[in-house]
Amino acid sequence: MVGGARVRPKGSPRAGLFAWLAAVVVATLVHEPAWLAAGCAVVVLFSGGGRVALLLRSLRAVLPILLLISIGYLLMSWLTGDPAWGFLLLLNLRVFLLALLTSWMLRDVRIELALQGWPRAQRWLSILRVQVATLRRLAGEYRDAVKSRSTIAPTLRQRYRAGGALGLAVLDKAVYNAEAVTQGMRSRGALDD
Amino acid sequence: MHIPDGLISPQTYLPALALAAPLWLVAGRRLRDRLGDEMLPRLAVFTALAFLLSTVMLPLPGGTSGHAVGVSLLALVFGPWTAFMAYSLVLLLQAVVVGAGGITALPVNALAIGFVGAWTAVALYRGLGFLGETPAVLLAVWGSVMTSALILALVLGMQPWLAHAPDGTPRFFPFGPAVTLPALLIPHALIGAGEAALTLLIFRHARRRRWLAVRG
Repeated sequence: MVGGARVRPKGSPRAGLFAWLAAVVVATLVHEPAWLAAGCAVVVLFSGGGRVALLLRSLRAVLPILLLISIGYLLMSWLTGDPAWGFLLLLNLRVFLLALLTSWMLRDVRIELALQGWPRAQRWLSILRVQVATLRRLAGEYRDAVKSRSTIAPTLRQRYRAGGALGLAVLDKAVYNAEAVTQGMRSRGALDD
Repeated sequence: MHIPDGLISPQTYLPALALAAPLWLVAGRRLRDRLGDEMLPRLAVFTALAFLLSTVMLPLPGGTSGHAVGVSLLALVFGPWTAFMAYSLVLLLQAVVVGAGGITALPVNALAIGFVGAWTAVALYRGLGFLGETPAVLLAVWGSVMTSALILALVLGMQPWLAHAPDGTPRFFPFGPAVTLPALLIPHALIGAGEAALTLLIFRHARRRRWLAVRG
């Protein structure tokens, strides 16, 4: 779901994942701006509802790097008196098409389902996602707790010291939680293979 | 610091994939042999931490920012092979779940940051051990960040020569090493210093908690 528009993905998740991989590789083999522009149009056309959100998400992902490279290249080529507009079009279209394809995949392909048949990969993905979510939640909770106890704004030195202590406390708690989860998984036979 | 999709040519990422694939196999086997009930939860937490570290932006002069890597921490706590595998997972997760970095650039990023970064950190830490733990960790992490940045700068800087049209116009990343080397190395000298301090803090904590599993 992107930008509030729920999209019902079609086809199997694994096919979607492989189609994305193939499309990404093909996009790096095409050097004609017209074909890359056509690729962008095809993605927008077939990506269904929520395509504006998809476009905006892709643009946000690549705009800073594209601006940096394009402006730098334009400045350099103007200095040498030969601005290569064709190259800039090619690069911008290629990077944008790749971002568009990835945003589409992220929106419509459930990675957990696409990895069915590869239990180890599925397990690692789940473990990592849970740990990332746990660390984020713990860090947020600890930060809020410190804020609620502080009546005046801390100095930079105090913030660094508190940040270090908080970070290590979060790490302890996360390892403790992960050990408990591992024991639970082991007791249910989830780690037997 | 890792490279996004669309800037690296197939002439670069396909050979990188051919090189990374057997290394992933070796790392995967070594990880399977070592992974027990004690190491699994710690590795999961530290891998998640590396993932989050790569989303924490460090401010740089001139209003720009960069992010920490976390592979040196993984390498110093779990060894270089495990760190390589774990960091490759971080890159994969970023590419297929968050959409950061890139799937075509993944082998290049995994080799430069995950493999070379991890081995550099461990080699420097062992080689500089005579200086004492604190300087050895700080220099190992800084050296690892700088080595990875150097490789990525060279890989990016080679793109105009590796992939160009018959008239010489580049097809992927357009700038040569004269631009990429200072553009990546100067900010990463500062990022590396920040990451070194952060890694030292967590490494000491891991040692106190007896979480270290360094054997490689």
